[in-house]
Amino acid sequence: MTPRTRHLGGWAVLLVAALVCNLGAWSYGQARGDRSLSYAKARDTALAEGERHLATLNSLDGESAQRVDDGLRAWLDSSTGPLHDELERTRKEEAKSLTAAGDTARGKVTSAALTALDERTGTAELIATVDVEVTPRTGAPGTQRKRFGATLARTADGWKVKALTAIGTGGGR
Amino acid sequence: MSSEGATDIGPGTEADVALDPGHGSEEAETRAPDPEDGADVSRRRWPRVLGALLTVALIATGGALYAEGRQLRDTPATANLALTDAEATTRVTGDVSSALSKVFSYGPGATATTRAAATEVLAGKALQQYATLFGQVERQSADQKLTLTTEVVRAGVTRLTDDSAHLLVFLDQVYERRGRAPTTASAQLTVVAELREGRWWIVEIGST
Repeated sequence: MTPRTRHLGGWAVLLVAALVCNLGAWSYGQARGDRSLSYAKARDTALAEGERHLATLNSLDGESAQRVDDGLRAWLDSSTGPLHDELERTRKEEAKSLTAAGDTARGKVTSAALTALDERTGTAELIATVDVEVTPRTGAPGTQRKRFGATLARTADGWKVKALTAIGTGGGR
Repeated sequence: MSSEGATDIGPGTEADVALDPGHGSEEAETRAPDPEDGADVSRRRWPRVLGALLTVALIATGGALYAEGRQLRDTPATANLALTDAEATTRVTGDVSSALSKVFSYGPGATATTRAAATEVLAGKALQQYATLFGQVERQSADQKLTLTTEVVRAGVTRLTDDSAHLLVFLDQVYERRGRAPTTASAQLTVVAELREGRWWIVEIGST
């Protein structure tokens, strides 16, 4: 092997290495910049967090004043914007009446889907069916099936419920 | 760049001065490693070492970035086209919604029309379920002059691939019996649809 070819061989190896690095960087850049990929992830995150918050907003332990207070705080944590403001405003009254009633509700999302997602503005529309198991202070427990439409908004602390509407019969639109 | 090779090029090149056979042969044997000579060897070696290191670093970086990219891409999120493929999502939602309102709407004299429509939008298990159900409905409808109108209130796609879809659908159903005020009931269904011959067919209907 002449020094010239060895020399060139060295450069060739280096060139190939540089190409490999470039290719890797390009592939990574593609994945990072893939809009539909980040959109799909945002969709799944919004749905999962929305479901969790919806269950929270349909649950309340009414056993004691302390537990009602904890429950109401959890409601505030699950909400943002208009819903948060409203819950904040009615908190004292709610606490009083809920403690007096003493009912316990446990919400479970049985099915949910996003109907819209705007990643740029950070908003999403979610529909869900929720089974709410209500255990009154006295009497037999019962389960209510409810359906909801929720508007989610992305906050610094993840997706939260901005607006919540029960979709009753005839009141869908 | 071997030493024998270097001599070929001749004494003209700077690097080869020390190896000039003219005065180097005996000295090289008698003398302990010359500091100057050592420095010269390492001076010629370091570009090679540097090159090798750079090569390894470049390949490692490339490999790591590629792996990272793969990891970003390989999530279940990408397999689900719901909303990411806006056009397909809208289409399946529309097809399934219109199919549901068609098969769950009927009048006393028009159950045959509904039955015929069902065979064009339902398939597989959904069609069997429907046939069982609709036998009773047909009798009832005739007896009680019952009219049912079903309207899709909301529909969302939970899972979508190229040829299958899972949906959550909210329905409002208005029952009208002759001579009585209509009553509205709400229903929610989970639907599995499949794309066959360019059309979405409902293959399974379940309640949530």
